[in-house]
Amino acid sequence: MRIACIAFCLFVGTFGLLAQEKAEQDSLYTELKEKLAELKGQVDGLNESYLETKTTVDALKKIKVTGYIQSQFQTAESDGIGSFAGGNFPSGVHSRFQVRRGRVKFNYDNDLTQYVLQIDVTQNGVGIKDAYATIKEPWMKTLSLTGGIFDRPFGFEISYSSSNRESPERTRLYQTLFPGERELGAKLEVTPPETSPLSFVNLKLGVLNGVLNTANENDNYKDLLGRAGVQIPLVEQGLAIDGGVSLYSGKVRSNSRALYKMDSGLKNYVIDSTSSNVGGYFDRTYVGGDAQIYYDLPVLGGLSLRGEFITGKQPGTSGSSQFYNPGGTVTPLYHRNFAGWYVNYIQNIGLQHQFVLRYDEYDPNTDVQGSDIGIAGKNLTAADLKYTTLGIGWVYHWDANVKFTLYYDLVTNETVNAFTTTTALLPFKEDLKDNVLTIRMQYKF
Amino acid sequence: MKWMSIVVGFLLSIGVGVAAETITVKGSDTMVILAQRWAELYMLKHPDVTIQVTGGGSGTGISALINGTTDICNSSRPMKQSERDKLKQRYNTLGVEIKSARDGLAVYVNESNPVKELTLAQIKAIYTGKITNWKELGGPDAKIILYSRENNSGTYVYFKDNVLEGEDYAAATQSMPGTAAVVNAVAKDKFGIGYGGAAYGKGIRFVKVKKDVKSAGFEPTPENVKSGNYPISRYLYLYTRSRPSGALKQYIDWILSDEGQQIVSKVGYFPIR
Repeated sequence: MRIACIAFCLFVGTFGLLAQEKAEQDSLYTELKEKLAELKGQVDGLNESYLETKTTVDALKKIKVTGYIQSQFQTAESDGIGSFAGGNFPSGVHSRFQVRRGRVKFNYDNDLTQYVLQIDVTQNGVGIKDAYATIKEPWMKTLSLTGGIFDRPFGFEISYSSSNRESPERTRLYQTLFPGERELGAKLEVTPPETSPLSFVNLKLGVLNGVLNTANENDNYKDLLGRAGVQIPLVEQGLAIDGGVSLYSGKVRSNSRALYKMDSGLKNYVIDSTSSNVGGYFDRTYVGGDAQIYYDLPVLGGLSLRGEFITGKQPGTSGSSQFYNPGGTVTPLYHRNFAGWYVNYIQNIGLQHQFVLRYDEYDPNTDVQGSDIGIAGKNLTAADLKYTTLGIGWVYHWDANVKFTLYYDLVTNETVNAFTTTTALLPFKEDLKDNVLTIRMQYKF
Repeated sequence: MKWMSIVVGFLLSIGVGVAAETITVKGSDTMVILAQRWAELYMLKHPDVTIQVTGGGSGTGISALINGTTDICNSSRPMKQSERDKLKQRYNTLGVEIKSARDGLAVYVNESNPVKELTLAQIKAIYTGKITNWKELGGPDAKIILYSRENNSGTYVYFKDNVLEGEDYAAATQSMPGTAAVVNAVAKDKFGIGYGGAAYGKGIRFVKVKKDVKSAGFEPTPENVKSGNYPISRYLYLYTRSRPSGALKQYIDWILSDEGQQIVSKVGYFPIR
């Protein structure tokens, strides 16, 4: 009986202990299960948070902000000269500091659509450079349409960014024909993808107001222009040959009945005063060809030779061969045949140095020579004189962001007839003292 | 004559400034192990030369080449025209392309996944979001979890151009910071799929890839890549800004030598000859 009691007590005790242990295990299991659920919840939360952050970061990646500042010191050969090396010098001044360009560019790139806004901040104020939107067709990704203010699709020099260009300014030819480089309008671009057998060709066609990028349209005529280009990379040979042909077909509206046209036989302007000239449209036509050769020179580094030729008909005024833009005052229109060209030689020397040599020529009136200008009875002006510029420079790339440029523009003008007595032409009896030295620092990000 | 000598001497002295005894290598994550092995062995044999190797992706390497912060760019894809244009603008060169090895781009699944082979068309459909369930491929009824590389990766670009035929990745694709991360993710995810260099294929299983439904499936083995039977293979490139000279040229010549190419095999890629 005693043994039975002891056995019973042991059984009850053991059972109690086992039951207690099981209850503890159940409790621990429940606790672990809860902890696991809690951790899973936290991981899910972190995952959601990560995806949310990733979505935000991916959206932010589409926004690109770039820019550059070019600050420079210039000294000219004489006071108050007219210059294409960053604008005319003020009267009585031959040296100056300038912020030549202070650009900030915002680009929202959504792969097939693009928004671009670029502003320029200098000592002269704030100006708009680019403001355009581009859409690309999604099927072949070859054709794109751009609308707004953008680079005129003509030639090579316009599209070559000022921040990359080795010489401080574009040539006199381009600054005269395309002041500000940009225009208001629409542009169609054909750029076959790299996988296409036609990837070496590209085509740009534009329809523009034909005034300046900052001016409103002043007539109902739209200018057409375009460039057909090729790019031939010969990678094995370290050689690339690019080129293109361009055409500009535009018209300007005259607000004057006085139209001066060149008579190449007389080597003088003849006036056409037909009353219908007021409000009439006159040709602004350019034809151009450009070529760029790049070659990897062993040991020294890459070199490029870039050249361009443009000829055509330019409507201007008596005092300027920049294109005619009818304003508030009645201004006679001068129609000139012009031609211009340049050749640029860039030699990279190692990683950080570049030697730059450029020669450019701009003849605003190909029907006359300097000696024809200033002869009594002729109405040719200083705006008909040919200019050549030899530029020599050195570029030092401090790092990926900063570069320094030392550049000298040696400007030579045609001289007028030695016997001229016209007061305005007297300074042009000899070469003007208008050479300019530029020392520039650029920061780009 | 004396002046000419001085000028030429000056030009050459700054011209060969890049050929210092420190060589910087940046770029493809796929190639980073290979590049490190090359560098280690070369530095052992040439104690006067220091070679610094970092990854970051082919796109990052090419940007560094353009910015002048690396001497050699490792890239698992050919350079794009837009990138060559940037080199042209800054250095007046197109860059020098050197094929250094060959790689089979493997497609990985989890070891437990019963799907053994896929056609190129199926892989494209998976990564463009047209096939979303393993059931459609003879696997379990489970959603396919897509793992990819980030868009600065040459592997990402190569896969997009050559397998997806230029189409965009499905929105659900998860971007991983390196091939090792893709492998790790697929190894942990029963329903995951990823791709990357064959040299990284440890802890997961390669899927046999078929050119089309009628073709046989092949794994990215050296024999299959060399014979061209494996349909997703590519070159691994070295890029320099201009024709290499000095220490840089000696190093690249060594990479292309028998000794350098032996390392290619040891790391798990395929020599170019």
